[in-house]
Amino acid sequence: MERTVLHVEEIVKDFDGVRAVDGISFDVERGEILGFLGPNGAGKTTSMRMVLGILRPDRGAIRSGIGPESGTIAKDTTGYLPEERGLYDDCGVLDTLCYFGELKGLPRAEAARRAEEWLERFDLAAWRRSRIEKLSKGMQQKVQFAAAVLHTPDLLVLDEPFSGLDPLNQDFVKATIRELRDAGTAILLSSHQMNLVEEMCDRILLIHRGRRVLYGNLADIKTRHGEHVARVRFEGDADALARIDGIADLRLDGDRASFRLTQALSPDAFLRALPDSITVLELSVSAPPLHDIFVRTIGGGSDEAL
Amino acid sequence: MKLSRIVRWEFVHAVRSKQFLLMTVLIPGIVAVAILGASSAGAFSGSGSSGPSTPPPPFLIALFLAVILFMGSFISGVMTMYGVVREKQSRVVEIVLSSVSPFEMMTGKILGLGMAGLLQVIAWSATAYYVASRFLPTSLASLALVHWLTYPIYFVLGYLFIASLYASVGAVMKDVQSGGATGLVGLIPYAPIAFTKFIIENPDALAVRIAGFLPPFTPAVMMLRIGAVPMLSEGTRFVPAWEIALSLASLALGVFFMMRFAARVFEVGMLMYGKSASLRELWRWGRRGAS
Repeated sequence: MERTVLHVEEIVKDFDGVRAVDGISFDVERGEILGFLGPNGAGKTTSMRMVLGILRPDRGAIRSGIGPESGTIAKDTTGYLPEERGLYDDCGVLDTLCYFGELKGLPRAEAARRAEEWLERFDLAAWRRSRIEKLSKGMQQKVQFAAAVLHTPDLLVLDEPFSGLDPLNQDFVKATIRELRDAGTAILLSSHQMNLVEEMCDRILLIHRGRRVLYGNLADIKTRHGEHVARVRFEGDADALARIDGIADLRLDGDRASFRLTQALSPDAFLRALPDSITVLELSVSAPPLHDIFVRTIGGGSDEAL
Repeated sequence: MKLSRIVRWEFVHAVRSKQFLLMTVLIPGIVAVAILGASSAGAFSGSGSSGPSTPPPPFLIALFLAVILFMGSFISGVMTMYGVVREKQSRVVEIVLSSVSPFEMMTGKILGLGMAGLLQVIAWSATAYYVASRFLPTSLASLALVHWLTYPIYFVLGYLFIASLYASVGAVMKDVQSGGATGLVGLIPYAPIAFTKFIIENPDALAVRIAGFLPPFTPAVMMLRIGAVPMLSEGTRFVPAWEIALSLASLALGVFFMMRFAARVFEVGMLMYGKSASLRELWRWGRRGAS
């Protein structure tokens, strides 16, 4: 069975002469969550709309790795949770879910059965006959989520799936997304919440001004781009610590020190470089948070931010 | 099939709304009860049976149908337009377009809301007929087979044409307040109404015959011609069958192209939030589709 569900090759999209997406390529594989990051206006939503067949790319190709023909992605095999919620306010919860399910090709009875199942799961069964406008924001969010996954899509595109959810529901949606991944769904997840991306994603794609800036395994990217953060509690000669090559932003506070390990100094090299005049009492070296990589790549990267 | 599902959804959605109930049942009902009540109280005494005893000629019925057609399609057109704008604002459109093609979505909307509008038109016509029959010798006896055969087709096709036209205008509107020059496009099919007298008196004039083949004008012009020609010639002449056939074919083709035009405009315009398009952009998008 082909592992890659979605191939995106060099897609380009212009709006009124302004290039929104400029030659982005990536793959999403079965059973993985690809984190899709970028500052506002980077072209994320446009890219997602092209992947879903809502917009056509001006150039480039979007191909499906599964199904009988591997031309464009069949709309019945994709699910979409847009960032701005889209539901019919004046329609019933169950009716709306059935309708969206049927639009994805499910027979009516099957759509109804699955809708009931998801409502049960999301603790919304009591609201099935209510009009959507009567629901709280978090509940609407869960209904929207159910609409995106009702037809068990092969490719699921989630745009800010956690916004508007309380911590309990956030955990619940997280668990559901992981379950879908384990069942083999290919998931493209876009979010500005870096800690969540870090927690959920195996690989990331970072775009800026319509171009791909970072792409690949999250751990690899961290080793490649990141500068580790170290914290030490020690006794001895603080100056000796400061003299180690490759240490930056050293901050001393009594017997504690915190600093960055620049690219030139790997954690391993740092350990070996520790001078004998220092007795280490506590030590932690951790990979840089995704947040830092994002800020450094986008902010300090290419050219001035607008 | 997904298209039929969209049609059903839009139809049910429209028919369930309070405005629809008001417009379809309540208002015609109140009007009928009021007029009939007034008449039985003697307000119109004397006018009941003193009118001409001949049934109204077909062209009058044609005129009536043309007016109803425009009122009805205007309302369902506006319903489609608002529906499109609202869906755009609530972003439902993204979910729907990630499931079906813009053509399916647009056609489904036009057909579903068109059916709801037709239901409304039927309710009004029945009320109007019932009320009128109390005062005038209303009868459909003067309608020949040709009228029975052609009027419904012109009516339904004309209806779809106008509704699609409005839908494409709605697809480029930012909100229901903004329309500007683009909104005027929706008035084009109403032009023949202004020339009713000329058409009825000169149903065979070259300009009238040509207008009968131009889709936006076909329904009104042809229904009036088909009504007027036999009357002026005292039943010796009818509009030639080939002219009827050609006008119907051109109208059907017109409906198809209008729906496709609407779908294309929709495809480009739908996702352009926050700005209304100009007339020129509307034309450009409709012709070329998403660029």
